[in-house]
Amino acid sequence: MKIRRFNTILILVCAALFGVPANAQIQVVGDGGPGPAKAQHLTAELVSLAPSVAPGGTLQVGLALTLEDHWHVYWINAGDSGEPPKITWTLPAGITAGPMQFPIPSRLPLGPLMDFGYESSVAFPVKLNVAKTVKPGPIHLDAKVNWLVCREVCIPGKAHLGLNFTVAHGANSSAQPVGALGAALNLIPVPLPQNAKVNVTGGKSDLVVTLSTGRSETKAEFYPFDQEQIDNAATQTVEATPNGVRIRVRRAPELTKLPAQLHGLIKLSDKEAYDVTAAVTPGEVALGTGTGKDASGVTTITAIGLAFVGGIILNLMPCVFPVLFLKGLALVQSSGEERSRLRSHGLIYTLGILVSFWIIVAVLLGLRAGGSQAGWGFQLQSPVFIAVLAAGLFFFALSLAGQFDLGLSLTSVGGGLAQKQGYTGSFFTGVLATIVATPCTAPLMGAAIGFALAQPAGITFAVFTALGLGLATPYLLLSFQPAWTRVLPRPGAWMEVLKQLTAVPLFATVIWLVWVYGRLYSSGASGQGVDHVGLLLLCLLMLAIAGWVLGKWPARWTSTIAAVLLAVVAIAIPLYQPKDTTLVWAPYSQQALDGARTAGHPVFIDFTAAWCLSCQVNERIVLKSAEVQEQFSKNKVTLLRADWTQYDPEITKQLALINRSGVPTYVIYPGSPSAAADVLPELLTKDIVLTALKKDVK
Amino acid sequence: MTHRKLLSFALFLTICWVPARAVVPGTAAPDFSGTDSNGILHMLSQYRGKFVVLEWANRGCPYDQKHYLSGNMAALQREWTGKGVIWLSIISSAPGEQGNVTAAEENKYLKEVKAAPTAAILDPSGTIGRLYGAKTTPHMFVIDPKGIVVYQGAIDDKPTTDQADLKGARNYLTESLTAAMAGKAVAVASTRPYGCSVKYRD
Repeated sequence: MKIRRFNTILILVCAALFGVPANAQIQVVGDGGPGPAKAQHLTAELVSLAPSVAPGGTLQVGLALTLEDHWHVYWINAGDSGEPPKITWTLPAGITAGPMQFPIPSRLPLGPLMDFGYESSVAFPVKLNVAKTVKPGPIHLDAKVNWLVCREVCIPGKAHLGLNFTVAHGANSSAQPVGALGAALNLIPVPLPQNAKVNVTGGKSDLVVTLSTGRSETKAEFYPFDQEQIDNAATQTVEATPNGVRIRVRRAPELTKLPAQLHGLIKLSDKEAYDVTAAVTPGEVALGTGTGKDASGVTTITAIGLAFVGGIILNLMPCVFPVLFLKGLALVQSSGEERSRLRSHGLIYTLGILVSFWIIVAVLLGLRAGGSQAGWGFQLQSPVFIAVLAAGLFFFALSLAGQFDLGLSLTSVGGGLAQKQGYTGSFFTGVLATIVATPCTAPLMGAAIGFALAQPAGITFAVFTALGLGLATPYLLLSFQPAWTRVLPRPGAWMEVLKQLTAVPLFATVIWLVWVYGRLYSSGASGQGVDHVGLLLLCLLMLAIAGWVLGKWPARWTSTIAAVLLAVVAIAIPLYQPKDTTLVWAPYSQQALDGARTAGHPVFIDFTAAWCLSCQVNERIVLKSAEVQEQFSKNKVTLLRADWTQYDPEITKQLALINRSGVPTYVIYPGSPSAAADVLPELLTKDIVLTALKKDVK
Repeated sequence: MTHRKLLSFALFLTICWVPARAVVPGTAAPDFSGTDSNGILHMLSQYRGKFVVLEWANRGCPYDQKHYLSGNMAALQREWTGKGVIWLSIISSAPGEQGNVTAAEENKYLKEVKAAPTAAILDPSGTIGRLYGAKTTPHMFVIDPKGIVVYQGAIDDKPTTDQADLKGARNYLTESLTAAMAGKAVAVASTRPYGCSVKYRD
């Protein structure tokens, strides 16, 4: 970073000292002779694989570029900016050169842009054809090469290079690929092998490239040959499929209709890439119809294992443990001849748990499918999803911390059914166990559930089944060996502490989600992210109140309804997105004020501060109202906002000039430069502003 | 959710969320406000009723230099501002990056190269650039009197740094302005812009 800044300062100093560079003509390096030519930030050389070639044969030659650290040159499609190197040959009669071939490129991100190219070193092979009529003897090739080499700045370069070789009968020019050129030849993307196929589905916003090679791949990148088809900088989502890989790339917004064909590279690794052309079929491909590995490395097996262990641990939670303990005690007290029946009760209980979990999964999958139709999904880029997730986790964390007991109200509902004797009773005890386990599930099961929800339906069911089995296993074991109940610790205060401790990571996750939520809006006008965070925190406050209601009057339908209403209102707060105002307020500066007045524009200055409540009220109710906005734009009023949240001497000076010392203050400077300032009262109404505007803007 | 997966999402959001996608011809040009090298505030909405050309510039970029040092850009600016077009040069280089200039430096440069834009707007925060998805310097946008973008992309069809390539190059800017001012549809409304990448703040 320091070196870059130093370089930049150096460039700026030079530019300042010598003014505009007088000569932008690029110096051509090299004299056409063989060997390397050193240019700015790279060395260029023409190389060949063999020293001689027979008449009628082919010779592999190439352009080898060695770059300084962190500098790059470009692929045939440079991406958002840049140009690939070009070779212009001067060839003797009888010798023709094929096109320049490009080895496998890499993605080169540059802020919000994405280029495709090469760093450190690259060679571009070219195949020469020597006609049979060429007479044996020494041959000299001439080439004018130009390129663009960039780091943060770009330097174009030109070189005049040469290459010598001989034409001789019987010469063997098919040498083993060695050196830079040999390495490059091995890195030229190949066409798809016979047994592999690729298809492309083009949707409204994505293009999905599905490659089947017979081998499951976890990494892949797509490089388009044509420009303006994909959004180069957008992240490509990669899903492994059983016999290949699926890449989802975002369409370029400039692409108004689907192309008939997509021609590009699918890069599986630094050494393996395929040059593919596929017809584009219109359609949508839902997320998560591949299988297996997810970007964070949580494999299906790990998730299922985690889910099973998590299910077992859930039994220790105060949500579930009392149920387990009491049922265990009941088992111990039963006599021996009912053992076989006990085992079947244990199995029915397990079935009850599994069925409840499957219903939950079906609902979640239905939501996910419906959501993806509606355009949102379980994606962290959606502010709605983050707000709902943060609110849900916060509510559960409140329950774990002890503010109210979610399980209790639900237990009263399930208890009656579980009391039933016989198999029905066991079944509903299983259902009850699932229900009371739900609020305790989040802290332990976050990883597995998050993974499962992003995977295809089969995997999701497998993970949740493992969770259910884990939950059921202890009681199942006890039903097979009731004597083991004595090993269980007695329920006690330790359960409560354990439950409250699990609230801590949940609250930490909520804090993190609130931060992400604020970041989602931070690219807009400054302070907008914080505004949205404020609304989300207000939502959490209302959820805390709803939780208090549930805690004060537990297990009553009246309090449940009140809490639900509060929760609904709470969630609505951050989700309500009012339309953005169309008028832009520029930051105040003396220069801006003088400029506008000289130009004859009326100016409205709003002196405000974030900690000033009446300022916020005036802005929201009066200044952002439709009538006032209309008058502002009709009279072409320059709108300046003087933000005094932190002390600013310029703003203080301006306030003093109009005999004010604090905020809020509202001033209209009429159009003519000589007119005096019209200071409005501190408490605004629409009338005051409209009347003042009418008076001042004549 | 695994924290790593969420963390990488969060990183993705912070680094890449602001789209660098050029505004699409046929849609409304987003309004913006910017201060020029003379301290005057300009808003796109105040030029409703006139043709507006937005030209992203970076005086250190060899592609931009091809047009400025040869006088080509200045000639285009004079020709079109003479016909009533508002020409706004916009510099979105971040502080410390190539092309970033103070108001005084920009005025000096404009005098030296005899450039004649209506105004040179300084956008060191990159807000206007990101709003329009400006990718390179030069990157041209043409906006009609109704506020609709009629052209976005390269200034001409020779993406090189050689001044020799100016002669005989097909100038997309001239074409689109001529067509739009005559009330005809613009033949080529969108091209890939060429030049150095805009030096946004990291």
